Amino acid sequence: MIVMRADLFVTCLIDAFFPEVGESVVRVLQRAGVDLGFPAGQTCCGQPLFNTGYRDLARAQARRTLAVLEERRIPVIVPSGSCASMIRHGYPELFREAPEDLARAKEVAGRTFEFSEFLVEVLGWEPPRCPATGLVYHASCHLQRGLGVDAAPRLLLEQCCGAPVPALDSECCGFGGAFAAEHADISSAMLARRLEQIQASGAGRVVANDVGCLMHLEGGLRRAGSSVRCLHLAQVLDGRGDRLR
Amino acid sequence: MTAFRAHVRRALADPALQQALDRNAERRRAAWGPAFASLTDAAAVRRRATEIRRRTIDELDPQLQAFIQQLGTNGVVVHRAATASDACRIIVELLRDHGAQRVVKAKSMVTEEITLNRALTAAGIEVVESDLGEFIVQLRGEPPAHITAPAIHLRREDVARTFEAHLGMTYTTEVEAMTAAARRALRSKFLEAQAGISGVNFGVAETGTLCLVTNEGNGRMVTTLPRLHIAVMGVERLVPTLADLSVMLDVLSRAGTGQQRTSYVTLLQGPRAEGDPDGPSERHVVLVDNGRLALRDSPLAESLACIRCGACLNACPVYQEIGGHAYGSIYPGPIGSVVSPGLWGTAAFGHLATASTLCGACRDACPVGIDLPTLLLRVRAERAADRRPPAWLRSGMRLLAFAIGSSGRFRAGLRAAGAASLLTPKRDGWIRRLPPPLSGWTGTRDFPPLARPPFRDRWSDLAAKADAPEGISLRARRPSPETPPSTTAHGSPRERFTSAAREAGCEIVECTSAGLPDEIIGALGEVGAQDLLTWKSEGRGWGSLLRRLEGDGIRLLTPALPRQGDRATLAGYAAVPVGLTGAVAGLADAGTLVLPAGPGRSQLASLLPPIHLAVLHESEIYDSLESWLPNDGLRWLSTQSAVVLITGPSRTADIEMTLTVGVHGPRRVVVFLVERDR
Repeated sequence: MIVMRADLFVTCLIDAFFPEVGESVVRVLQRAGVDLGFPAGQTCCGQPLFNTGYRDLARAQARRTLAVLEERRIPVIVPSGSCASMIRHGYPELFREAPEDLARAKEVAGRTFEFSEFLVEVLGWEPPRCPATGLVYHASCHLQRGLGVDAAPRLLLEQCCGAPVPALDSECCGFGGAFAAEHADISSAMLARRLEQIQASGAGRVVANDVGCLMHLEGGLRRAGSSVRCLHLAQVLDGRGDRLR
Repeated sequence: MTAFRAHVRRALADPALQQALDRNAERRRAAWGPAFASLTDAAAVRRRATEIRRRTIDELDPQLQAFIQQLGTNGVVVHRAATASDACRIIVELLRDHGAQRVVKAKSMVTEEITLNRALTAAGIEVVESDLGEFIVQLRGEPPAHITAPAIHLRREDVARTFEAHLGMTYTTEVEAMTAAARRALRSKFLEAQAGISGVNFGVAETGTLCLVTNEGNGRMVTTLPRLHIAVMGVERLVPTLADLSVMLDVLSRAGTGQQRTSYVTLLQGPRAEGDPDGPSERHVVLVDNGRLALRDSPLAESLACIRCGACLNACPVYQEIGGHAYGSIYPGPIGSVVSPGLWGTAAFGHLATASTLCGACRDACPVGIDLPTLLLRVRAERAADRRPPAWLRSGMRLLAFAIGSSGRFRAGLRAAGAASLLTPKRDGWIRRLPPPLSGWTGTRDFPPLARPPFRDRWSDLAAKADAPEGISLRARRPSPETPPSTTAHGSPRERFTSAAREAGCEIVECTSAGLPDEIIGALGEVGAQDLLTWKSEGRGWGSLLRRLEGDGIRLLTPALPRQGDRATLAGYAAVPVGLTGAVAGLADAGTLVLPAGPGRSQLASLLPPIHLAVLHESEIYDSLESWLPNDGLRWLSTQSAVVLITGPSRTADIEMTLTVGVHGPRRVVVFLVERDR
């Protein structure tokens, strides 16, 4: 038996807004046999700075984050497809003209995994059955397209629920970070379509692997007066809680 | 940016536009998948297409040089235009030199880019757009709303009203009736035009071939009927070889319209040759730079690989909401938000790149692997470096960078923000209203309050509670990849040709060479045709076939257009109901007929009549375009002025993406498949 050591990069959104998601992530990973650490210096991967074009600021934050993740050369688990994709693809793009930083970025990128990807692809862990029902899965863009991770979360859900969990079509929820504020009208129109689909699915809970999408969807559901709530995959696998927080 | 915001607001609030976009959405998206599934290894074909375009852009100078030289050898006159106004000036002068007052155009994005129509009109030249979608938007005085589907912003009702107002047509929302009206309106324009202007989908460097990919038949009219043909193309639209072209054709029609092959793939090799019965006496190419060559040295160079298929627009959820016109550039959608600032500057167009969630649907859809989200991010970086984003975003990001720059500051920041959020109005604990700039969010969505304590303060408890790790066994247990449906080609080439051609909308009549004349006579009798526009070429019993038809009382017309002057002959041919040709090859992959130009082989016979009868011998069926084009195809192209690949009847989906056959070309294609003699 091998004990797998790994560090958790919990992401700023979970840290600040949804710590309960982080707690479920920790419990699930521990249950899966991971000896988990939490590098205390971590804050945010810098994606908002990168996505809005402030590359100097983003590079400084990326170097900072790389230093934090270089303290121990072990796998890094990120419970967000978006932030994992930032580390895996965004950092190399930021440093494409800085060979030394690029090498560091690639080294860290090579051992950075999204939560469901790590459970399925690295550990081959099978979750215990849990009683969750009425779920519908939302495939987050940066997870399915940025990282190419799509089968893993669906497999975990199926194993956990005992049957395939239906999914919304693979469209963006309209979040897009600063886009949601800068182009609030387009973002809202995109969200409205997803809310209609959620409504039509008849599900009571929307599951995804990214709290960015989830806070957007839940914010829209709440405003619309819907009783549907959102959950992170880790919370489903953790078998507890029926809401984000 | 302010104008863009206003356009977006208007688009979102326009019920007719929203309805049009919604009606088209399903079909726009559905276009893509099934067509690629027909390839045995779609991913590999896309990788090859990507590699071909990258290589072409990397070696653009020598490729362009070879292309220009080859065009010269082929008798095509080459003009180079550094800017849009140069291009317009060259074209206006050419038309004036030829005394051309009436021009028909086939769809071409580069001519939209250089605003050619404005220049022609200013020069007193009448220009008519002949692609159905372009025709509609020209009548309305609008620019196209999509790279490949110009009228996608219109509902059938809108088109009906446009035709009512401009064509004097009785209001009807029948798409077929509207298409027929456009056919009638444009037929006379084709016959009267003194010059044709088209774009080019690909130029082939090794052979100097101009390749046009079309569906309606208007592209063939424009490049065949008038005495002067001017092709306008961006300098980057090259592929090195015919083998490369076949790969690009495999992805372009699939990505663009979801077809295996468009109705027409026109391969133009030169002007009308000695002995050709028709075709333009002069063919010119205007190679337009307009910022492209400079783009090679920018971080957006990858965008030069674009083949203008429009797949990224179809996949884009933002385009779905706002349509094409809101972008304020002739190139809308994801690729437009990269190409527009790339060609014409971040100052004027950089803001378009902010209108994206970076969802990556465009990258997945791109048949030539352009990493559009990364390019959009590079535009944003340039924009931020030029201090163009709004002040709140700039100061907000500075503040954020400071706050996340150390874990101490982060913790303090959370505490401060948490205290401030106590003041906000809430319901069920979520925030209802925030001040600008976050008011945009809370206009339609609740915002989560900050959690107390944050995760970082809960970690030590969680770590302490951890049971001793049980240990795990490392098993490789990857989720099994979905097995793609088996698409391996099966059956004989003849069977595959027959099924693909039927799929494309052809009718197939299988017969022996002895039975062929009776079958053709029968087909003519069915439609009551007395006249037949036909090829005159000898070989494979063609002469005796024609004698037999004549003997049966059918009047044969073998077109031969005068090189100069009189166009009346043309109008005479246009009234003939049926055309008869002999395909030199059939391509089994998509059910394609190959018709070269040449002595006795009129291109009009397969284009003007509403019914096209084509004889194909079983022994001439080849496996695929890829196996035919670089071999036998090369032989035909090196000796003839043009080769046309025909896959099914003329068609359009320009009105609400409703497929309609028989636009400018034939609405019926009947293939007489002649068995091998036993």
